[in-house]
Amino acid sequence: MTEKKRPINRLKSMYPLRGLIDGMYRQGLSAAAEGKPVAWCMVNWWQGDPILKAMDVATIYPEDYGAVCAAFGAAQGYLERSAADGFPSHMCGYARNCLGYTGRMMDAGGIPEEAPMGGMPRPTLLLGSGSLCDARYKWFQSLGRYFDAPLWVLELPHPGVKEGLTPGAHETNISFIVAQLGEFVTFLENLLGKKMNRDRLDEITTDTVEMNNWWHKVNELRRARPGPMHSRDFWSSMPASLYMAADPGQTAGLYRRMYDEIKERVDNKVSAINTTEKYRLAFLELPPWHSLGFFDKLAERGWNFVIESWAYHPPRPIDLNGVTDPLERLARYSYHWLTGYYRQAYDAGEWWGYFAYPYLEYVRDYQCDGVVLHPLLSCRTATNHLTLVADRLMKKLKVPSLVIEGDIVDLKLFDPAGALTKAETFEETMDHYKKVRKEAGFSW
Amino acid sequence: MAEEKGLARARAVYRNRRHRAEELKAAGKKVIGYLCAYPPLEMMTALDIVPFRLLGDINEPISKADSCLPSVVCPFIRSTLDLGLKQRYEFLDGVVMAHSCDVAEKTAHIWNIYLKPDYFHFIDTPHTAGPSAVAQHRGLLAAFGKTLEELAGKKITTRSLKEAIKLHNRQRALVRQLYSFRKPDPPLISGVETLQVMVALMSLPVTEGNELLEEVINEVSRRQDSPPQKKARLLVWGSILDNTSLIEMMEGLDASLVMDDTCVGSRFFWPDVELTEDPLDGLARRYLVDVKCPRTFRQTNDGGKTKDYRADLEARFGYLKEYARDWNVQGVVLQSLRYCDIHGYEVPQVKDYLKGLGLPSIYIEHDYQQTAMAPLKTRIQAFLEILDRG
Ligand code: SF4
Ligand code: SF4
Repeated sequence: MTEKKRPINRLKSMYPLRGLIDGMYRQGLSAAAEGKPVAWCMVNWWQGDPILKAMDVATIYPEDYGAVCAAFGAAQGYLERSAADGFPSHMCGYARNCLGYTGRMMDAGGIPEEAPMGGMPRPTLLLGSGSLCDARYKWFQSLGRYFDAPLWVLELPHPGVKEGLTPGAHETNISFIVAQLGEFVTFLENLLGKKMNRDRLDEITTDTVEMNNWWHKVNELRRARPGPMHSRDFWSSMPASLYMAADPGQTAGLYRRMYDEIKERVDNKVSAINTTEKYRLAFLELPPWHSLGFFDKLAERGWNFVIESWAYHPPRPIDLNGVTDPLERLARYSYHWLTGYYRQAYDAGEWWGYFAYPYLEYVRDYQCDGVVLHPLLSCRTATNHLTLVADRLMKKLKVPSLVIEGDIVDLKLFDPAGALTKAETFEETMDHYKKVRKEAGFSW
Repeated sequence: MAEEKGLARARAVYRNRRHRAEELKAAGKKVIGYLCAYPPLEMMTALDIVPFRLLGDINEPISKADSCLPSVVCPFIRSTLDLGLKQRYEFLDGVVMAHSCDVAEKTAHIWNIYLKPDYFHFIDTPHTAGPSAVAQHRGLLAAFGKTLEELAGKKITTRSLKEAIKLHNRQRALVRQLYSFRKPDPPLISGVETLQVMVALMSLPVTEGNELLEEVINEVSRRQDSPPQKKARLLVWGSILDNTSLIEMMEGLDASLVMDDTCVGSRFFWPDVELTEDPLDGLARRYLVDVKCPRTFRQTNDGGKTKDYRADLEARFGYLKEYARDWNVQGVVLQSLRYCDIHGYEVPQVKDYLKGLGLPSIYIEHDYQQTAMAPLKTRIQAFLEILDRG
């Protein structure tokens, strides 16, 4: 009897990367148990995390914990608690989950017993961020109601495309970030009563860049036909980079192994799905974590998700050789993550240079037949740009989009059966636009 | 419209905001739209450009904005964009927007893409208010000044900027004077009338606004027909209120709205710009640090080892204590637009603060539609009854 193949051909090299996240929660708990510092952090795109690592602070990401609680069925209780504490229900589900969790934790005098993954220990400090979304500093500010952990907020400038490209703007913004990072280091040194080891930061920064370069190379290979790596493997592997879940040198090695595995697939034309690749798709933004089986159903129909979610991708490589100060390297790196597409956006006459424009390149370079948009009821940031992106993709590349609504914690909002029906109809649309593109002289 | 004076003129401008701006435009002036309270008006005034605040319209159903901004974001921003797409702002020579909040920042790019204004500038206002952020903000204002100069075909001089600052500070002083007429019981000017004046000011050049304010102050100080005495004196806090309907509803009950902390009110006008030697220093500080909108992150003991929540609340909301005391406020209506993160997170914290002052408060949420006001009436009514039992 032959073994039935699963619809998505998962990468073996993904598993150790995915495993790093469980390790991150464990490390947080053991650090707290040993009386070592623990930070609750917002994703900060490698701006502050390397510094925390250099200071031996364990890091935990309540955004991720929101997804964990939703998946384990624990979120509802926390959401109710945050509503009882007066937080309006239209706000970010991850934030409300965290606020409710924190309320419970303080009442219980420790990690609440129902907390999934062993829970998040009470933090020594909070690292907020002004990147991409307001929740990411306002939410942490609200935690002041529950405990006295100090909060630091990192700035990452978000210039407009034209403004960001005016002479001098780039360097002014870099100087601002460097100044801010310097202040962050002083804050940490004061809080933890020790000096940061600059050599250690230097090493971590180098490894972080190396880690992301391998991760970038992995994603570059995905342009191949058939697509060798499905978005599900991307989402399982991205936290290793985004949350810097382990030592970046170690993670770099794991991404490199992933690169090797995919390279072999590309050389042998092995697809990420076990059915003929009929449609190549992009997915925007956060996936329905609880209903990932939905992608299996689509894979059976020949849908291969070959690229996704700009915000979770590493930046394109930049040359940081010659930048000796590690703080400046971090500043240049994170700023480049946000603004790295501005020049091309400008040339294309597109004025939203991050979050919107990069998809025009993704969809073109990965030759997508369609895009699935996933607007989220309680996350503005992952939703604001979707209508715009759908419009630009149609106007500029003749690539259609399918909208499937959902939410990050209210799992009931995602209707897999209804979504599947929509998807079936969408195949006709994709077929139609394949012809339109061909007639218009596009290469796919 | 020109013959009308004082409150009647304010009401007329409120009802037809663009009329005067269009006249000015026809007379050869440049008019620039701005979103939120963050673009520095003085820089436009210094170049003889008329700043015109972009607002929404709660009476106009949103239709066109659906094609470029999803429905789960701030309905005020969606309404404003919708008006833009319906060419209600076509008389503008351009727009300036700032990173006042996440959705405003993102909508700025959308505006630029779909409305293709001849002039567009985006100020990436920092989130924090420490020295490096103020320095960064100063640089951003200088960059804004350069693009404005290109548009105007002339230079901003230290002198012209200082003159503009004086004019706007004069407006702020007059607004504070007008607000002092809300201190007596009954107040000499109602909440509805006040909001009409505020909207009018945001639709006129500063000099005309100052004349209007002088007329209104003159009229109100002698008026015989002041609003009737009501049982409760309320303060309204929160996200933007650019239409009188919510206030009309409250004042239709047994309550006077005597003070506000919103951005078409005191929050916009209260702090002056310090006349620093280099005027950009004063502007950078005023617009980033002194305007008390919760979009700016501020805390006491920044960089310290612990957080003192009570001290933090005092530093962030201490001005509300002064408002409550000076305007003899008995209750606070906390209102926020649905999907406004900036104000949403703040709600339990302001409540904590007000509780500490012994001031009752109620939180209401609405979605920027005329029809959404009616259900709120019952809740306000119930709140007034609690105050009455007090
Ligand atoms: S609103 Fe969205 S981007 Fe912001 S913290 Fe919540 S989930 Fe993350
Ligand atoms: S109401 Fe809130 S979300 Fe809307 S523009 Fe104002 S601060 Fe931003």
